[in-house]
Amino acid sequence: MLIQVLNGVVYGGLLYLLAVGLVLIFGLREIVNFAHGALFMLGSYIGFSIAAIFDFWLGLAGAIVAMTLVGLCLDAGVLRPLRKHDHMVTVLVTFGILLVLETFATAVWGKAFRSMQPPELLSGTVELFGEPFPVYRLFVIAVSLCVAGGLTVWLRHSRIGLYVRASSVDPTTTGILGVDTDRLSLLVVGLGTGLAGMSGVIAAPLMALSPTMGNFILIESFIVVVVGGLGSFSGAFIAALLIGQIHNMGAVYLPWASTLLPFLLMVCVLIWRPTGIAGGKG
Amino acid sequence: MSLLAFDHVDACYGAARILNDVSFNVDAGERVAVLGRNGVGKTTVVNTLCGGTTIRAGEVRINDRGHTDLPHYLAARSGIATVLQGRGILPNLTIEENLLLGASVGRKGPWSLEAVYGLFPILRERSTNMGLGLSGGQQQMLAIGRALMANPDLLVLDEPSEGLAPVIVDELAELFNRLGRDGTAIMLIEQNVGLIQRVAERYYVLSKGQVIESGSLEGMSTEQLQRHIAI
Repeated sequence: MLIQVLNGVVYGGLLYLLAVGLVLIFGLREIVNFAHGALFMLGSYIGFSIAAIFDFWLGLAGAIVAMTLVGLCLDAGVLRPLRKHDHMVTVLVTFGILLVLETFATAVWGKAFRSMQPPELLSGTVELFGEPFPVYRLFVIAVSLCVAGGLTVWLRHSRIGLYVRASSVDPTTTGILGVDTDRLSLLVVGLGTGLAGMSGVIAAPLMALSPTMGNFILIESFIVVVVGGLGSFSGAFIAALLIGQIHNMGAVYLPWASTLLPFLLMVCVLIWRPTGIAGGKG
Repeated sequence: MSLLAFDHVDACYGAARILNDVSFNVDAGERVAVLGRNGVGKTTVVNTLCGGTTIRAGEVRINDRGHTDLPHYLAARSGIATVLQGRGILPNLTIEENLLLGASVGRKGPWSLEAVYGLFPILRERSTNMGLGLSGGQQQMLAIGRALMANPDLLVLDEPSEGLAPVIVDELAELFNRLGRDGTAIMLIEQNVGLIQRVAERYYVLSKGQVIESGSLEGMSTEQLQRHIAI
């Protein structure tokens, strides 16, 4: 049972890494980025390709850098020019980017499933609660906690973090007060996309790589964002851990209903609190 | 020197033209009122200054430099701080964080966190509370304090008396006059005759998106001013 709880934390951690990028981008650009799962997938493949030549760590670093650059281009080339259009236009464009990136990945890496090994340093198991537990999964938990802690400190105690929190609720008023929300958005979309790339590489040893690998986890990340409260970083963390547990416990104890349970949770939370656990934008 | 001037501005929301050939100016140290009934385009003047509309003709001149496409942050960074109608308090930030956000432009001047707390001691007492936990009058203090944190040359106030008790409006009038005496120009967008009379020196009347009258408020009776607003 305790091992299953830890496995739930591992999945919740991955969900958080992906969902926090969605939260960041939603806050600044006020759009739901349908391409986020494809960015996760692309980060995964980039890490896989670099790791095949060098090693896992260079693959991880390379994917973060490459995906951050992709994020900067996404904001400067797509999201910023479309900011004065109806949000639905931007959402449809991000859906188009999802399709383009999946086709691109199919052309470059093929449709066949691929797998990536964890680094040697993190292979093997340790004994926890009398049972073996993969070291790599503990690494995933540690990375998620470090990212959550780092983001919290950055958002709470830095000047830029203050601007990001303000913009996540009201980018127009924040701009009127003198903050260049376009430059802030460039930073935030770059960071969010870099995090998507990082989560893609970290998830790669735990799941099969395929051009559509981002779709299911993206849906659960959307549930995390909605349950946590649109634009809420702390809410996303709580919701990711909750859905990680529900996903994992459901797969073990209620496999026939496991894909349904996160949706049921979302419905219950929205009935209880329509703005999600930690409020945010209504 | 003119801090802010609208020079024959046509401003639109999408295809809808709201301001039609609007011209006015506010010079350094002046206290100017923009009057008019609801729906005549007063808030659109503020939105245009803050980049919320599309300028189809004319230009907005800030510190004698003309602009036709204004990013949201331009006015604030050019020394024009805005107190929005509805106050624009960020609900997820504490009172102190709301104030610090006002200092994001990094302009030097007399206003700091300590100076604003000195002006509005209640904000210091509640500095760790969330912004929306304040009463209407206190929220207006927070919005004004946040604008002052930018050390502006010109303070634009959009309906600052809206929803406030008369005694609070009196305090605001005193504050605006004090700021004016200290050299900060004031642009007051209002319908409250008492506040306009106590603060402003000049006025512009807006009707159907156009400036139809302007002049000095000196010697103008309350009835005359009410008639202007009722146009």
